[in-house]
Amino acid sequence: MATVVEARGLVKKFGTVHALDGLDLTISEGEVHGFLGPNGAGKSTAIRVLLGLLRRTRGDVRVLGRDPWQDAVEIHRAVAYVPGDVALWPNLSGGETIDFLTRLRGGADPALRSRLLHDFQLDPSKKGRAYSKGNRQKVALIAALARPAQLYIFDEPTSGLDPVMEEVFRREVDRVRKDGATVLLSSHILSEVERLCERVTILREGVAVESGTLASLRHLRRTTFRVSTGATLAAVSGLPGVHDARTEAEQLVFDVDADALDATLALLTQAGVSALTVSPPSLEELFLRHYGDRGSRA
Amino acid sequence: MTMFRLLVQQVRRDRITLPIWILGTVFLLVVAAAAISQEFDDAAGRASILRVALATPALLALRGIPNGDSLGSGVNFQSFAFLALTIGLMNTFLATRHGRGDEEKGRRELVLATPVSRRAPFIATLMLGVIANGVFGVLATVGYVATGLDAGGAILSAGALALTGLAFLGIGLLAGQLTATSRAANGVGTVAVLAAYAFRGAGDALGTPDLTRISLEPGWPSWLSVIGWGQQILPFTENRLWPLAVIGALAVVTLVVAFVVQTRRDVGASLLAERRGRAVARAGLRSPFALAWRLQWPTLVAWTAGSTLLGAVLGSLVTAISKASIDNPQIEGILASLGHTTQADVSRSLVVAITVIVGAVAGAAGVQAVLRLREEEIDGLMESVLAAPLSRYRWMLAFLVTAVVSVLVVLSVTGVAAALSFAGSGDDENAWFSLAQCLVQAPAALSFVAAAAVVVAVLPRFAVALSWVIYAAGIGIGLFGGLANFPDGVMNASPITHVPTLPTDDWVPTIVVGAIVLVVSGIALLRYRRRDLAA
Repeated sequence: MATVVEARGLVKKFGTVHALDGLDLTISEGEVHGFLGPNGAGKSTAIRVLLGLLRRTRGDVRVLGRDPWQDAVEIHRAVAYVPGDVALWPNLSGGETIDFLTRLRGGADPALRSRLLHDFQLDPSKKGRAYSKGNRQKVALIAALARPAQLYIFDEPTSGLDPVMEEVFRREVDRVRKDGATVLLSSHILSEVERLCERVTILREGVAVESGTLASLRHLRRTTFRVSTGATLAAVSGLPGVHDARTEAEQLVFDVDADALDATLALLTQAGVSALTVSPPSLEELFLRHYGDRGSRA
Repeated sequence: MTMFRLLVQQVRRDRITLPIWILGTVFLLVVAAAAISQEFDDAAGRASILRVALATPALLALRGIPNGDSLGSGVNFQSFAFLALTIGLMNTFLATRHGRGDEEKGRRELVLATPVSRRAPFIATLMLGVIANGVFGVLATVGYVATGLDAGGAILSAGALALTGLAFLGIGLLAGQLTATSRAANGVGTVAVLAAYAFRGAGDALGTPDLTRISLEPGWPSWLSVIGWGQQILPFTENRLWPLAVIGALAVVTLVVAFVVQTRRDVGASLLAERRGRAVARAGLRSPFALAWRLQWPTLVAWTAGSTLLGAVLGSLVTAISKASIDNPQIEGILASLGHTTQADVSRSLVVAITVIVGAVAGAAGVQAVLRLREEEIDGLMESVLAAPLSRYRWMLAFLVTAVVSVLVVLSVTGVAAALSFAGSGDDENAWFSLAQCLVQAPAALSFVAAAAVVVAVLPRFAVALSWVIYAAGIGIGLFGGLANFPDGVMNASPITHVPTLPTDDWVPTIVVGAIVLVVSGIALLRYRRRDLAA
C-alpha cells in the first residue's frame, strides 16, 4: 500500500520551544489514522507542517509523495482540512463560505453539498458572526466533505458537536474511507479515535511515543476485572502481573497484564465467582499510562 | 482563477466598508472644492485669503501649502493633506482586515489549506487595494473637474492621493508582518498615517512663505512625510511629476518587502513576538474597573505618548514661528472663522489650534476605551463576566470610568508636556496658557465618550462604526467647518466649537456641554441594563 504521509525526525521550533522534537509518522493509503495526544503535545503543529502552513526546522516530511512547504498548492488539490478552531468571515454567510472554500478546490458536488447541509442540519444563510462554535465547525466540515479528496485532515473535528452530529460525522468518515480516501484525525477524545481509527499514533511533547494498529496496542495493555469472588484481596494482589487491586462495593477490582491472565483466571475459578465484568483495555488507559505518570517522573 | 475567487471574496467582504470610505472621502473632497469655489470665486479674493493663510502657521499646519491664486490652489491647500490622511487610514485598515486580521483569527489557515499558493491572498489584497485606490482616483478626478477645476491638475492631485493610498497599503501590510494581532497592526498603521500628517504639518508651519508668488518652501519635517511629497506636485500650477515617482517608489518598496516576508514565514508568525504574561494576576485585579483598566492601559500609554510628543513639540514650534511671524489684521478674521479665537497673537492662536487637536486625540482615546465594552460583548467574553455576581450597571460604569480617566490623562499629561516645553524657553505665560487650554478641552472630548456609550447601550450592532462616524463628524465640523462656511446650526452641533479660548468669562457653553455629557452617560447606563446581549 502506498504511503500518503511520511515524516522522519520532524522538528519544529518556535524560538527556543520545540513544538515537534523528532516526530516520526507514517500513514498508508486508505487508512483512518488517529493522532492522539493531550493539549500542547504538538498535534496541530504537526498538521500545519503537513499542510505547508509552517516550515519544518529539521527532518524529512512527504505528503502524497511531495514536500509540503515546496508543493503546498499541488498537495492541497487532493486534501480537505478542518482546523481545530474554526473562524469564519463575520459578514459572509455559511453557504457563501462553504462555496468559496470548495470552489478553491474545484467546486462542490451540488448533491453532496445539499445532503450534507441536511444531515448536519446547518442553516447556510446565517452570517458567519451568528454561528455558535458547533455550527462554525459544521461549516468547515461541510466545506471539507462536499468535494471528494484523497486525504482528509481533521483537527479535533467533533469538539463542538453534539452526539447526534458526531454520529453524522462518523458516517461521513466511513463513506470517504469506503471511497478509498485516507483520513488523519487528531483528537484527545479517546472513544472517538477508538471508534473510527484502525491505526493510532500517540504524541507527547512533540514525539511519537507509540504507533501501531489498535489491536497491537491493545495487546500491550492491561485488562480490568470487576469480580464478586471468594478470593481475598491479599491473594489477588499477590499474583504477579496484577495491579491496583482494591475493593469497591464488595467487589474486587484490579488490572491484569496480558501474560498474567491465565494465572488470574485459574485463581478466580478455584475460589469461585458469582459475578464478573471484564473490560477491554481502553485507550483511556493507554493515554493515562503515557501522560498520567508525567508528574511522578518529573 | 483561484486568485480571481480570492479577490471576489475580499470584494464581497468589503461591499459595505470600502464604498463608505471611498464615497465618503470623495464627498468630502467635492464639498471642500465646492465651498472654496463658491466662497472665493475671484482670483483677487483668493490671493488675499491665501496670503493670510501663508502668514498663519496654525492654518498651514492644519491644511497644507498653497501655490498661486488659482481655484485649484485654494482647493488643494485646504483639502489635500486631510484627504491623504483619510485615504491613508482606509488603506492601512484594508491591509489589516485582509492580512493580519485573517491570520490572527485562523481564517487564513482555512484558505491556505486549499490549493492556493501562500502568495495568493497577499496578491488578491494588493489587487483589491489597487482597485479601491483606482476607483477613488477616478471619482476624485471627476469630482474636481465637476466643480470646475482644470483637468490636468485634477488628475495629478487625485492620482497623488491614490498613490499615497497604495504607499499606506504597503505600510499597513508591513505592519501586519511585524505584529501578531490585528489590533497592534492597526495601531502601527494608524500611527504611521498620523505621523505622516503631523510631520508635514510641522514642516509646513515652519516653512518659508513667498507672499508674491503665494507659495511656501516647507521646513525639513515635511520631507520626511509621504503626504509632504504629494504636496510638492503643486497641482494646477507647476504640475510636477517627480513626486508621483517618489511616492510610487515607496509603495513598491513597502509592498515588496511585505510580500517577501509574508511568503517566507510561517502562517501566524510575526517579526515581533508576543511577550509572555504574568502567571498569577496582580492582587488588584478583582473588580470590573481593574479589568477594564488592565485591558486598556497599554493602549492609553500609546495615545498619551503620541499626544505628549505633540505637546512637547508645540512649545518649540510656537517659539520658532513667533519670531518669523508678520502682523496682519486679516489673520484675526480668518482665525475667527475657525471659531476659536479673537486674538491676533500668532503664537497664542497656534496654541489654541493645536490644543484642539490634543482634545481630539483625547476624545479618540476615550471612545476607544468605551468601545472596548462592545468588543468584549462581540468576543463573548462579557458572558462569562456577567455570569458572575456583577450588575451590568457596574460593568458599563467600569469602562466609562476608564474612558474618562483616559481622556483626563491624555489632556493633563500633554498639557504638562507643552507647559514644560514653553517654560524651558522662558515663556511662562504660554506655559500656563497651554496647560489650561489643554484642560478645557475635557467636556468636548468627553462628549464623544458619552455618545459612544449611548450608542453601545442602544444600537450595539452598529456601535463601533456609528461611534467613529459621530466622532469624525464632530471633529471634522469643528476643525474645518469654519472655512467651509457651514451654517451655524451645523457648527453648533459639534462640541469642539464650544470649547472656550482662555481667558474667558463665558463658561456657560462649557457647563452646558458638561451637563449634556452627564445626562447622556446616565441614559447610557440605564438603557444598557435593559437590552439583550447582542453577539
